[in-house]
Amino acid sequence: MILEKKIDSKYITFGPQEILFVVLAIISMIGLSFGAHALLVGHDNVFGTSREIPWGILISPYVFFACLSTGLCIVLSLGQIFNIEVFKPIINRTAFLSLVTMATGLMCITLELENPWRVPFFALLSPHPASNIWWKTTIYSLFMIFMVFNLLSLFMKNEKKARIFSIIALLTVTMGNLNMNSDMAILGGRGFWSENYMPLYFLTLSTLTGCAAILLFTWIANKLNKETPTEAENNALRATSRLFLALLVGLLYFTGVKIMGGFYPEFTKNPEAMYLLVQGNFAPNFWIGEVILAVILPILLVLLSRGRNKGMLAIASISCLVGTFTLYYHLVIVGQLIPHYFQFNVVGLPQYYSYTPSLHESMITVGAIFFFLAAFVFGEILFRKINFGK
Amino acid sequence: MKVNKEDNMKIEDLKKLSNEGIKNIPSVERRQFLQFGLAITGVFLGGTVLSLTSAKNVDGAVSGGKILDGNYPYSPHYTMVIREKHCIDCEKCLDACRSTNNVSLHGYRTDILERSVPKAPGERERIFMPILCNHCNRPPCVRVCPTSATFKDEINGIVRMNISKCIGCKTCMAACPYNARFFDEEIRAIDKCNFCYDTKLKESNGKITACAAACPANVRVFGDLTNPDTPAYKLIHSAGKVFWVLRPELNSMPNVFYVEK
Ligand code: SF4
Ligand code: SF4
Repeated sequence: MILEKKIDSKYITFGPQEILFVVLAIISMIGLSFGAHALLVGHDNVFGTSREIPWGILISPYVFFACLSTGLCIVLSLGQIFNIEVFKPIINRTAFLSLVTMATGLMCITLELENPWRVPFFALLSPHPASNIWWKTTIYSLFMIFMVFNLLSLFMKNEKKARIFSIIALLTVTMGNLNMNSDMAILGGRGFWSENYMPLYFLTLSTLTGCAAILLFTWIANKLNKETPTEAENNALRATSRLFLALLVGLLYFTGVKIMGGFYPEFTKNPEAMYLLVQGNFAPNFWIGEVILAVILPILLVLLSRGRNKGMLAIASISCLVGTFTLYYHLVIVGQLIPHYFQFNVVGLPQYYSYTPSLHESMITVGAIFFFLAAFVFGEILFRKINFGK
Repeated sequence: MKVNKEDNMKIEDLKKLSNEGIKNIPSVERRQFLQFGLAITGVFLGGTVLSLTSAKNVDGAVSGGKILDGNYPYSPHYTMVIREKHCIDCEKCLDACRSTNNVSLHGYRTDILERSVPKAPGERERIFMPILCNHCNRPPCVRVCPTSATFKDEINGIVRMNISKCIGCKTCMAACPYNARFFDEEIRAIDKCNFCYDTKLKESNGKITACAAACPANVRVFGDLTNPDTPAYKLIHSAGKVFWVLRPELNSMPNVFYVEK
């Protein structure tokens, strides 16, 4: 009884945010339980992947969230490492989002493995440093550790220490981002991501999605907490929206290069895949997802909002995030659809292999997205309770 | 095959170009040549001249000097030479492979592709092309494996699996340009051709694989590139003999070679 009295009422409330968290967590659990089932019965039985298309949709949320985490860490560094005053008010939330997005990404790749339980043993006991995928797992796991320490230091108001962890985390995750490209680029036999512009493309996409996530989730957090942002926060968001716009223009350039590759084979290293993307079966997805949703619509909305209309910025961010998700999906899948022996006049060989995500793969993807959303709401609840959000 | 005037002009123009070797020719171009019934090949016996020859079945062929440099890093350095035109698609090799190596029904280690190749205008030739792991000297699958579950045997160059280390990431499957690997749910690991390393090759003291032993037409000639007395060695080391590997532009340096006869 005495103890109960001592507990501040704000620690024991169960309001709309808590309900929202439970709902999101339940949806996430339902989705992820499909992952557990797939592990039990084997992916061959429940995934749409095959001998010809070994990587399915689950690689896309992994790349999406890992790159998003990188972008968030880059934007975080502007305030935390480079001391740019205007970005300082969003440090705490950005650091938290960067951590949970990476956790979500790693969860996706784990569920994409047939034997994830072997990873801790053989990644350590039998490492293969020539393998980019080994580096990627190691780098991103280390990043998460540094980010946890960064957050803990921020929480304990030890800004000096937090800054050091942030610097190490930034260096680590940038290495991971560059590695993400080489990881795929050496799969040259399958028309994957081997274009020269890829490293810069990844960095642009990462920072772009990072900005979009900050604009969107700060807006949602304000709505959830029924707060009006402070002037300092408003300035931070305005600066983020300017960066967002600049990066959208950068993405517009890369999208233009892709379009050129789709029409003129001399502009690309993957003419078959680029044709399929820009003019072939994937054209509707490409033009709607990668061109309109990822670039054109967000540019228009940001310009119309003049960096002030938060709702409009949030819609621009959602559009951009959905568009970039389709972009990553294309990056993973389209290159694999070109048959291995397409030059050999093989009888009965389809012009393109086909792949459709199965129910299990789709549900795991949904589960991962809701895991992230639940983690975000959980963070907001936690921040409110320990007064950490600002 | 009908070749129109415009196409003829393109070929004439190309013939005038100075030679840059074949490695820079994009696959689209290569495919266009095949549509004309022509293939871009190197010139044999060490040359690197770009030549346009009848495609028949030499897609992707390059000179012996480029894909074989006379250095065989392994001893024995196992190889298989496929005498493509002799294959009658009886599939005895496929059966022998499956039963000898207990290959699960989830996949296959070797296959026969049926090709319909332009021979002359309006005429096509049917060719059966056996495929298997090429035991590449620069194997992309080995390079990408995070746990060294797939590795190149340091003695004989066979690309093998240590199934207990396989985490099932399937990166090797994505990296292999030859569709030579599959995930076997029964063993929860990748399965692939290992030149019968633990079965027929072992029983025969390194002499032959199950598929080669089962082939009634002697299409699959297994051998050792460090031993000039073996038929496989002779098949690709005779002056003027045309041989090729699949998808040489990827530089994976296959150890499975193809000859017409
Ligand atoms: S053919 Fe494929 S599986 Fe075999 S060694 Fe080459 S890349 Fe690896
Ligand atoms: S699937 Fe297995 S063998 Fe292939 S790369 Fe992954 S761990 Fe290595």
